[in-house]
Amino acid sequence: MMLAAFADPVFDSQRTFRELLQAMARPAVPRRLPVLPPSPAPVMPEAMAIVLTLCDATTTLWLQQPNAEVAEHLRFHAGLRLADQVQQADFALIDDPTSMPALEGFARGDLRYPDRSASLIVQVEGFRTDRGPRFAGPGIRHTEMLAIEGLQDGFWRQRAALSAQLPLGVDLYFVAAQHVVAMPRTTRLLEG
Amino acid sequence: MTPRYNFAFLDEDTKRMLRRALLKAVAIPGYQVPFGSREMPLPYGWGTGGIQVTAALLGPDDVLKVIDQGADDTTNAVNIRRFFSRVAGIATTEHTTDATLIQTRHRIPETSLREDQILIFQVPEPEPLRTLEPREAETRTLHALADYGLMHVKLYEDIAQYGHIATSYDYPVLVDGRFLTSPSPIPKFDNPKLDRSPALMLFGAGREKRLYAIPPYTSVESLAFDDHPFELQRWDHQCALCGSGDSYLDEVVVDDHGARMFVCSDTDYCSGRRVEAQA
Repeated sequence: MMLAAFADPVFDSQRTFRELLQAMARPAVPRRLPVLPPSPAPVMPEAMAIVLTLCDATTTLWLQQPNAEVAEHLRFHAGLRLADQVQQADFALIDDPTSMPALEGFARGDLRYPDRSASLIVQVEGFRTDRGPRFAGPGIRHTEMLAIEGLQDGFWRQRAALSAQLPLGVDLYFVAAQHVVAMPRTTRLLEG
Repeated sequence: MTPRYNFAFLDEDTKRMLRRALLKAVAIPGYQVPFGSREMPLPYGWGTGGIQVTAALLGPDDVLKVIDQGADDTTNAVNIRRFFSRVAGIATTEHTTDATLIQTRHRIPETSLREDQILIFQVPEPEPLRTLEPREAETRTLHALADYGLMHVKLYEDIAQYGHIATSYDYPVLVDGRFLTSPSPIPKFDNPKLDRSPALMLFGAGREKRLYAIPPYTSVESLAFDDHPFELQRWDHQCALCGSGDSYLDEVVVDDHGARMFVCSDTDYCSGRRVEAQA
């Protein structure tokens, strides 16, 4: 039987959006997602909340591990189109970041329209704000400390390589344990 | 609340489109994101861009303040507040400190904003280069190449003609060192409040169908030259009502003989100071 989506589509997506907006405006700070809708495995309810808030028939979503149940759930509740190729995706759902495709494979926009770029929703193991590297950039007052657990080796190196192409880039939403951390293309990981 | 409409007037598909565009706008500070601007029940030029941004953000717990040239009691501000209390049933306020969302036309409140507040600007012309280059394809290319020489020439011509930079409102800024951005027609007096603001600032242009954003704690530099630095306008007067010497003043003609007075443009700030003085 198919699972339900948001119990209250108008207000659940509004509350989720406001957290996403603040998350994007204040990168590298975990924010609690207010509503967790039911979600078929391997999609986490946190990731499903973002998809239901932002995706509809005008957007495409790329699934790292497509399966029939997830595809049916998303098509029914969000009416979205699934993308076969990563470069065609407006949104991408990564459930296993250790084997995710290279960041540079996703749409990064073009110089006249850098907004035509992919947003990645990445399911990770957890966040730690008491240790880990420091981040800086627009939205961050001084620096923010954050460790994201479960990413593949070399992920940050890959992302730093993309930053040479600013304002082109991809924007990231990491989700774990009822929280979301947004990482727009402008956020820099500080070395050392 | 008028029950015939969806909450906050717009349909959910439109809100989602606006929300996606707003998130990209925050991710690319100062860049103008195109969006599908809808027809609103008031004409272009009355804040349709700001209203659509507010509608996409608004939730039942929000407290909305709307100002027009700093004032809460002008036609535009009163009507937009009334519109949202009718179609969303939300609470409104005139006090800057009580508001969660502040929609504004042409001013930034004098009272410092907090991290949990969002400021939404109504923007008539989002493209700072438009008066210098009418073609959209060309201005897009100039932004792509970060080629802002045209604007520097314009400011230089001001100095050559008048001896100083004569632009006093809609004074161009560089956001995060990358995109030349219109601060909307706020007086240049307000430009320093854009720089590293604790509050998120969103800009909506309904007729021109563009959104953009300045995230919190982001560098916003008013363009200038080393030998002609950015300067704020100053008044020889103080507010005739509250005595403030450091707020933005409006000059008001008060009788048929040309008598004038200077008063704060921010009505909430001014009345707050008068209440404080009486206490």
